Amino acid sequence: MEAFLREVQEVVKRYPQKRAAILPALYLAEQRFGWLSQEAYEAVAEALNMPKATVKGVATFYSMYRKAPMGRNLIQLCTNVACMVMGAETLLQLLERRYGLRPGGTTEDGRFSLVVMECIGACDRAPAMLVNKDFHPNLNENNIIEILEGYS
Amino acid sequence: MERILLKNIDNPESHRLKEYERVGGYSSLRKVLEQMSPQDVIEEVKTSGLRGRGGAGFPTGMKWEFASRDPKFPKYLICNADEGEPGTFKDRPILERNPHLLIEGMVISAYALKAEIGYIYLRGEYPYAKTVLEEAIREAYEAGYLGDNILGRGVRFHLSVHQGAGAYICGEETALIESIEGKRGQPRIKPPFPVNVGAWGMPTVVNNVETLANVPYIVEIGGEEYKKIGSPECPGPKLYSVSCCVKRPGVYELPMGTTLREIIYEHAGGIRDGRQLKAVIPGGISTPVLTPDRIDCPMDFVSLPKYGSMLGSGAVMVLDDSVCMVKVTWRAMRFFEHESCGKCTPCREGTGWLRNILERLEGGMGRPGDIELLQDVAKSIQGKTFCPLGDGAASVVLSFVRNFPEEFEFHIKEKRCMVGEG
Amino acid sequence: MIRLTIDGIEVELEEPVTVLEAARKVGIKIPTLCWFEGLPPFGGCRLCLVKVEKLPKLQTACTLMSADGMVVETENPEIRAARRAMLEFLLINHPLDCPYCDKAGECELQDLVAKYGPEAGRFAEGKRRHPESFDDPIIVRNMERCVLCTRCVRVCEDLQGAYAITVTGRGAHSFVEPFSGGRYDCEYCGNCLTVCPVGAIMSRLHLHSYRPWFVQKEAETVCSYCGVGCRMVVQVRENSIIRTIPRFGLGVNDGLLCVRGRFGYDYIEQKERLRTAFIRKDGELRPVSIEEAIEYTAKKLLQIKDTNGPETIGAIASGRCSNEDNYMLQRLMRFFIGSNNIDSSARLYYIPIVQYLERIFGQGVTANLMPGIGRSDGVVVVGGDPTRINPVLGLQIRACHRNGGKVVVFGPSGGLKRFVPYELRPRDDEALLVAVLKALIEKKGMPGENKNLEERLKEIEVETHDVLREASIEEPLFDTLVGDLLGLQNPVVVVGPEVLQAERPSRVLFLVAGIVYLLGARVFVMSDRPNYQGLMDMGCLPDMLPGERPIELETFRHKVESVMGRPVPDKAGMNLFQMLEMAKEGNLKALYVMGDNLYYHMPDAEEALQSIDFLVVQDIFMTETAERADVVLPAAGWTEKEGTFTNLERRLQRFEKSRTPLGCMEDWRLLAELMAHMGDERPPRTVAEIWDELVQVSPLHIGINPREIGPEGMIYPYHGEPLRGVEGEFDVEALKGPYGGGPEGLRLILDRPLYHSGSQSRRSRALRSLQDSPVLCLSPEDARDLGLEDADMVRVTSSKGMLKVKVAISEDVASGTARLSNTFSEVHFSRLVGIRQDPVTTGGVFTDNLVKIEKLPSEGSEEVME
Ligand SMILES: Cc1cc2nc3c(=O)[nH]c(=O)nc-3n(C[C@H](O)[C@H](O)[C@H](O)COP(=O)(O)O)c2cc1C
Ligand code: SF4
Ligand code: FES
Repeated sequence: MEAFLREVQEVVKRYPQKRAAILPALYLAEQRFGWLSQEAYEAVAEALNMPKATVKGVATFYSMYRKAPMGRNLIQLCTNVACMVMGAETLLQLLERRYGLRPGGTTEDGRFSLVVMECIGACDRAPAMLVNKDFHPNLNENNIIEILEGYS
Repeated sequence: MERILLKNIDNPESHRLKEYERVGGYSSLRKVLEQMSPQDVIEEVKTSGLRGRGGAGFPTGMKWEFASRDPKFPKYLICNADEGEPGTFKDRPILERNPHLLIEGMVISAYALKAEIGYIYLRGEYPYAKTVLEEAIREAYEAGYLGDNILGRGVRFHLSVHQGAGAYICGEETALIESIEGKRGQPRIKPPFPVNVGAWGMPTVVNNVETLANVPYIVEIGGEEYKKIGSPECPGPKLYSVSCCVKRPGVYELPMGTTLREIIYEHAGGIRDGRQLKAVIPGGISTPVLTPDRIDCPMDFVSLPKYGSMLGSGAVMVLDDSVCMVKVTWRAMRFFEHESCGKCTPCREGTGWLRNILERLEGGMGRPGDIELLQDVAKSIQGKTFCPLGDGAASVVLSFVRNFPEEFEFHIKEKRCMVGEG
Repeated sequence: MIRLTIDGIEVELEEPVTVLEAARKVGIKIPTLCWFEGLPPFGGCRLCLVKVEKLPKLQTACTLMSADGMVVETENPEIRAARRAMLEFLLINHPLDCPYCDKAGECELQDLVAKYGPEAGRFAEGKRRHPESFDDPIIVRNMERCVLCTRCVRVCEDLQGAYAITVTGRGAHSFVEPFSGGRYDCEYCGNCLTVCPVGAIMSRLHLHSYRPWFVQKEAETVCSYCGVGCRMVVQVRENSIIRTIPRFGLGVNDGLLCVRGRFGYDYIEQKERLRTAFIRKDGELRPVSIEEAIEYTAKKLLQIKDTNGPETIGAIASGRCSNEDNYMLQRLMRFFIGSNNIDSSARLYYIPIVQYLERIFGQGVTANLMPGIGRSDGVVVVGGDPTRINPVLGLQIRACHRNGGKVVVFGPSGGLKRFVPYELRPRDDEALLVAVLKALIEKKGMPGENKNLEERLKEIEVETHDVLREASIEEPLFDTLVGDLLGLQNPVVVVGPEVLQAERPSRVLFLVAGIVYLLGARVFVMSDRPNYQGLMDMGCLPDMLPGERPIELETFRHKVESVMGRPVPDKAGMNLFQMLEMAKEGNLKALYVMGDNLYYHMPDAEEALQSIDFLVVQDIFMTETAERADVVLPAAGWTEKEGTFTNLERRLQRFEKSRTPLGCMEDWRLLAELMAHMGDERPPRTVAEIWDELVQVSPLHIGINPREIGPEGMIYPYHGEPLRGVEGEFDVEALKGPYGGGPEGLRLILDRPLYHSGSQSRRSRALRSLQDSPVLCLSPEDARDLGLEDADMVRVTSSKGMLKVKVAISEDVASGTARLSNTFSEVHFSRLVGIRQDPVTTGGVFTDNLVKIEKLPSEGSEEVME
């Protein structure tokens, strides 16, 4: 907790007002708490001297924050037009077949969670996905499993 | 055309300061600090005719002039690196491969605006770019290109990366400012405009990555010379992101005003798998779709409206005859529904309704009258939303229905696609 | 000057306003949903779309500023179609449950649809589902009905400053939620209920029992809880209150209310209301008719007067009763008993603070208008948390902050936490006050206006460093504080009851007065009863006649005597403390208590009350005091009578009767009946008749006709300007010093919580649903030292007694103190402490309040013995 507060105070320095640090602080809270639980919101509210309801309101506006507990690895697969045209849908089916993973879900062993993304700016190498922070372009039915198997 | 914005990016080390300096990087900044007043820089940019590359094409020099005339201080400079428009990935190579070009552009711009604090609002979907940018910023601080006394000239500018978290609307500049201030990213009432009342109530300039990346070059060769590149009304080099059914998708740096045909067939290698071109979305998913008979259109801010679309972010999405237009429209609408910020009624409720109808069509459950309903709902949205997002959603539907009525009708009648396996 | 044309009508504007407002000025009402008076424009609903010449798109009138030469059309087919389209969009997700929805009949959406269509929605698919939330005891949330105008969130943030609710999610998945997602856990002002245009946020109190057309009667009234005097409308059906609503643009509260005002009204209809009189016979209270009780009382009082003398009879007036009630009580005492022994529990703090300030600055110094707080550039708060004691006054302080003003709070900032730039938690308030005062004198110099005061100010001799150390305030913080205070142009000082809780109350009060003087501030005194100021003005003081004219003034006394045709006793009477002292000594034979639960809230009162031969209690409940009385008279309560209150600004406000009480009588009428039995040939029989007499007796009220008091009330005779300049004599104890250094140990302090205020609130089911049991509030530091956690049970022991209570840890408590309220019957503050009267200010100082706190084993767990 100390470390979390220290990191938040470090980010706060970049802005003329404390509140501006909420987006980075929420990322830090995600790291600290695993996901944005009520407890995490309260910690951010405390650190930034903000009302906790406001913190929650801000956090839930943004789709990339983890508002529920997630698996160890987060697959963010793009399905927007370019990726769709290039075959993202078959990949989705594959993930379901292979891991029983559906958009918004988590595998039973907690290994993967899947979130379907709007465009992730990789249309020239579509379909593409992010696994945690790693970017994986030019996916197809063969390489996607290979890539995912690299995450335990 | 020689590459200006993407200069040197084939070099695997192009993102390093050393490499950037080796190819002449930061010499424009030196020139500015040694020879030019802030107003000189603004004049040069005005002369250059540079127009914002974020989508609206607003003259950059004019925007700067407004902000610089406002007597309030401090002023802020924000780089819009939200790049959320589906189909767009043009800022990405700059962010990941040429970050110092952006930083140099920002320092020069900040000097012109007398802004001492800057942020790069980077979309959450680009974690790698974040790492690269932060490293580049660190290098720039170390080398004295950023900080309290830039190049020993008493100029102060501090820059940091502000990472978004998945909200397309935060690309809209007032929503972006709300987001930087730590709020829900909903657009603000305009006027006042950010140039007068922006971040924390202070004059704020928001410019796209590509816009700012043009600045060092303008300074280097002068506005007059720069103006000679590209189309007369919209000069300069332009990054086009080309995707979907072409042989060589990618980012192409070409003079503004290059025709769609040239982009698709010469640079991107034409249509894949020997298929036929069916439709082009020329400027990202929010811009109206064009039919193949219109691809001789020059790709710039003034020509595209004459052909019934918009340049937007210059994201060319090429669709061949294997692609179902209903499905594309449906997927686009799912995007708008997902990204609607929820502030205004027509966009919040209307995008969902449109998606609903399209889903019905796509799933073979279309009903007679659905096409008219689609158009009617879209028209009820059009022109009545708080910000352009809702308008974009409406015009996408209207343009697809107008240009490909037979596909929609086929879906209703035959309960399936005209194309592909469906 | 801006000229524009709206629907063909020329509009001239001095100031640029939005097209919407410009249209309203000429009577054109453009439909709106997200717009709300007093909130910044939002522009989300898109219903106010209008056509502006030369602009291709329709524009939202609520956000568009009018400009010279603009030509606007507010209704045409295109506009109507657009509005219909917006409504059709809203109906996509809005359930069509109007027959079932409480809002039907006063729903803005329903009205708009009735006006603009659509006749039928074309959206055929399923609507968004979201279960109605009944997690909260008094607020129901139905997010299926929400139209996301965000008025509730904006009122909560911008006007209430509570930040309790927010929009979560995005787009069509946006919902309004409190942080917990269930219970609101907020200040429960309920202002979100007022602004919700549809049935999305509603009060649970009248759920499914209310329809607008059920309202048979509406009465304009004033809240009965505190001295702010919020205006509200009481809606009644079949003699029962359905709800209370504020009105925007009306009264000091301008559309806002606090939890007590909005939800606390149900006490008035509780079963325990007295519906008959009682006389003690053979040691037991036996029901009798009111007439019998009055006759009996009159006889007894006359008897005691004859046998023991009028000075053995006393009366306690009530800050809960109207001006008329209080006037009549002093009338009884002065002209029919012949005693000036009349006082009230306003003596504990309100009277002494106001009178002390008046002695220094002149009469009416606290007659300042509350909206001025919001407009001031700085507010200094000392002696209590205004957001709890006087919540709507607290909102003005928050407004001051919102408008860029500085808020400085001496002590824990409580409900102002989010609005102060820094927290001042001095270990010793007095030491910090004197240091601030001294710094102001040094930096500003004496203004030279008030010789008396300045002379005394010069006597202060302190060493700033030492006192700051005493107060445990860091010097840089102190410098910031002084700098902030020096920068203020039109500041306000708000003084609360706790300024008197010191070794030498006069000294603290003097320091506060000194700060008021040096800052040139307007001053407000908090009041936790609706009519403390009124009872003073009515002459319920042992040394003042109505209009607050000193009893010693012979000319004035004679004037009153000539009006009344009866003598005025010329010797000042006994105050509250003196009366209780007399009682203990056996010298007070009779006491007439009107609307006050002395036994309960006054420490050490038991013995005194027991020693009184004849105790009359006139109340709306069988209070702890009434249970000990010889006669109990059932009184009509709030909104069961008409009358006036005088709020802490000294605004005289009229309230109407909304319902007919059963088995009881207005306080003033009971008193009139009593006087009739005591030889009054023509006691006043109406409120108007009381005023006819009052205006002759009280110079303060000359010329007032209560019927003419409009909805805004009247500030009389001050008109918001204090009658400064008439400086009197005042005393201060030990001005020279030393300062600081009180007794060591944990001191018990009287807490004045938000949800409760005593006998009234604890009988409100709604308020009890928010807080149903007493708590001992401790600072986090003390709790840590005592090894306590939230909700632990503790034993609190003082030299007066012991009780068990639950702990609540709160940053709103200064360390070294524990707070307990006088709110719940079983466990309350005055059982543990004593009280003494401060000789200089005459106020009450709690004594014997050093307490020991021990943790008790939690229930169910076995006691571990070592
Ligand atoms: C819905 C919406 C999304 C937008 N997204 C982006 C974006 O992702 N990146 C961007 O640079 N501009 C975006 N814009 C445009 C910005 O509002 C703004 O015009 C731009 O940042 C200005 O920079 P420029 O003048 O350099 O183009 C968006 C506008 C709208 C209405
Ligand atoms: S059009 Fe309206 S709801 Fe949509 S994104 Fe803009 S403001 Fe938000
Ligand atoms: S009232 Fe103008 S948009 Fe809602």
